[in-house]
Amino acid sequence: MFKRFLTRGLRLAGIGSVAAALMTAAPVLAQDKEPIVFGGSIPLSGVFAFAGVHIHAGLTDYTNWINSQGGINGHPVRYVMEDTGYEVDRSVAAFKKITGSNRVPVYYGDSTGFMKTIASELNSRGTTLMSGASFATALTDNQTYPYQFIPGPNYTQMFGIILEYIAMQGQEGDKPTVAFVYSDTEFGKDPIENGKAKAAEMGIKVVEEIVTKPGSVDVSAEVLKLRRARPDYVVFHGYILSPINEFMVQMRQMGLDTQFMGTFWSSDKLIIDRMGADADGYMGVMPYNYYDSAEGGPMLEALRSQAQKSDPDAGYRPTAYMQGWFNAMVWTEVVKRTLDAGKELTGDNLAASLASIQDWDTGGIIGVPVTVRDMSFPVGRIWRVNAKEASYEPVSDWIHLN
Amino acid sequence: MRIGDAKQSYEADEAIWTSSTQKFWFAVFLLVLAVFPFVADAYLLYIGCLVGIAVISTTGLNILTGFTGLISLGQAGFMGVGGYTVAWFSLHTALPFPLTLLLAGLLTAAVGILVGLPSLRVKGLYLAIATLAASVFLHFIFAEWQAVTGGMGGLSLPPAHLFGLTFQSDFEMYFIIVPLAVVMVLAAKNVFRTRTGRAFIAIRDRDISAEILGINLLRYKLMSFALSSFYAGVAGGLFAYFYRVVTPESFPLSLSIFYLAAVIVGGMGNLLGGILGAAFMTLIPEMLNLLTATLTPFYPNAPVFMSPMLGIIFGALIVGFLIFEPNGLGEIWQRVRRFFRLWPFRN
Repeated sequence: MFKRFLTRGLRLAGIGSVAAALMTAAPVLAQDKEPIVFGGSIPLSGVFAFAGVHIHAGLTDYTNWINSQGGINGHPVRYVMEDTGYEVDRSVAAFKKITGSNRVPVYYGDSTGFMKTIASELNSRGTTLMSGASFATALTDNQTYPYQFIPGPNYTQMFGIILEYIAMQGQEGDKPTVAFVYSDTEFGKDPIENGKAKAAEMGIKVVEEIVTKPGSVDVSAEVLKLRRARPDYVVFHGYILSPINEFMVQMRQMGLDTQFMGTFWSSDKLIIDRMGADADGYMGVMPYNYYDSAEGGPMLEALRSQAQKSDPDAGYRPTAYMQGWFNAMVWTEVVKRTLDAGKELTGDNLAASLASIQDWDTGGIIGVPVTVRDMSFPVGRIWRVNAKEASYEPVSDWIHLN
Repeated sequence: MRIGDAKQSYEADEAIWTSSTQKFWFAVFLLVLAVFPFVADAYLLYIGCLVGIAVISTTGLNILTGFTGLISLGQAGFMGVGGYTVAWFSLHTALPFPLTLLLAGLLTAAVGILVGLPSLRVKGLYLAIATLAASVFLHFIFAEWQAVTGGMGGLSLPPAHLFGLTFQSDFEMYFIIVPLAVVMVLAAKNVFRTRTGRAFIAIRDRDISAEILGINLLRYKLMSFALSSFYAGVAGGLFAYFYRVVTPESFPLSLSIFYLAAVIVGGMGNLLGGILGAAFMTLIPEMLNLLTATLTPFYPNAPVFMSPMLGIIFGALIVGFLIFEPNGLGEIWQRVRRFFRLWPFRN
């Protein structure tokens, strides 16, 4: 009896050992495969550092998470980055250094300037697909930038989503009026001409257009112009915070009931933190769910859990973190599709894989399945600040432009 | 120890290379520059080209600020004029790069003369503000003259070409940038062996005395502006060919400050110092990045922790140089040379 028990036990132990060995061997085999390198020129210092540190955290956390899931088709992922100070020449230097010592199929660019500058090199190399912090409309020109994509809607598409929302708010066929306030920079001017054309096409009247320096403080004269024009909506673009807060406070003090809206980089918690109750009602277009939104989904939960694991004290993670994570998610999907098709990780194959993304479920990062059009994800949702809760709440459905 | 270096004639005294040892080391230096692109990786080649462009621009600013004593904060604007000139001619004509660069230099020199006009009346900080205003004005033109400059989106240009050859990669661009940098530095060195160069120095040292000695201040000040701007224009043109894109944001005010800092750190009125200053200002951020990369395997959060520190370290190094060696890197270089020349005796 004892002998039979022992034999059976040994046999079970043997099977268990083989299973255990196989289970431990699987990750080892995965680690044996060539790592896939995520490269990045990241602005950890300089004027864009406020976002850069969170982009870096998002990319780092995603890399750790995907490796904990066995990597990409068994290939471990390695994230190699360098600080750029948000300077184009240093971003290019980082690119040369990282791509010189690694085979880098996907790369994070920290600015529109860098992504435009590196385009000729990317095109001649044909080895790397790039995305990054830029949502510039110009980068979705596939002829000039065939190996670059936008990890969300470009700025023109963001304006399109905002205008779609504004058009829906019209009562009895009356379309609301709008004013555009933007910074005197490439960033600020990006969507304005297309935005005006789109507004005209939709029958929305642009009653005022104001250009300021980014970060302006004294906007009294501009506020008076808006007071005369009395737009129903003011759309800000090309700012992070100032002068949005100045416009909002001064116009509300004048008793105007104008609604204020902004694009990606001016739609984070910073505006709530700095303005407090005055931020109430401010609306922003955002392609991703906010970290603390009521929305869910397997990937969004994975993001929250990984963020909590990597820094339990960090609390809320800004939209830059979500952007970093989503960039890496798209890279993973694109690399996976290319490997699954048995193709080499070249710029052309990666770009083709990106273009093939249709009705892709992002696991809750974006609330609806997304389709790539012209190297961008033209989807977003309008969120409004609830100052009491210090959070953004959705006020529209997800709007997917065609 | 090297002895017996007595000069027998004025020509010998004015010679660029006063001894065979100098000629030997300069030949070695040229050899190193020639071999460098064949052994360097893509990153080092890129840095080499960047230093080459910085050397040309710093040399130009050194002529104006270091040798003539006219402070300028317009260097980035002048480089922008050069960059846009090259971009425009590359897009609208089939001119080869030597001609586009020459046109960039000449047009920028003309703009420099205009900007330099106030220098007869104002100097010091007032002139700095006047050149700053010119830089802002030029930036406005780059951003708003849509038909010529492409507005805020800028211009993308085709690669440099000559006799059917195109210069696209960093390796190919190196053979334009570095030889041009060597030639332009030598040309600047020659300028200061002539009456013109000595007039610049006289103006710097005491402009009233210089005028009494028969130096036409307006003429020589404008000449200095023109020469300096020519260098900036060529550097801007090379910048355009190197990156193949120019936008108004390619030439920010911080770039002018960068070059002014390079001149000060290297040593005002010292061409070698300017070269060392340009190399120092370009390489130090890279060296500090290397330090971060070295620390990262031991401390994974090093990039986040170190990056803000790098700015402080960089600033501290510059302040340190200014306090402990106000004559700049050029003077340190001279001390090192003296040490070896007089070794084993104390200097």
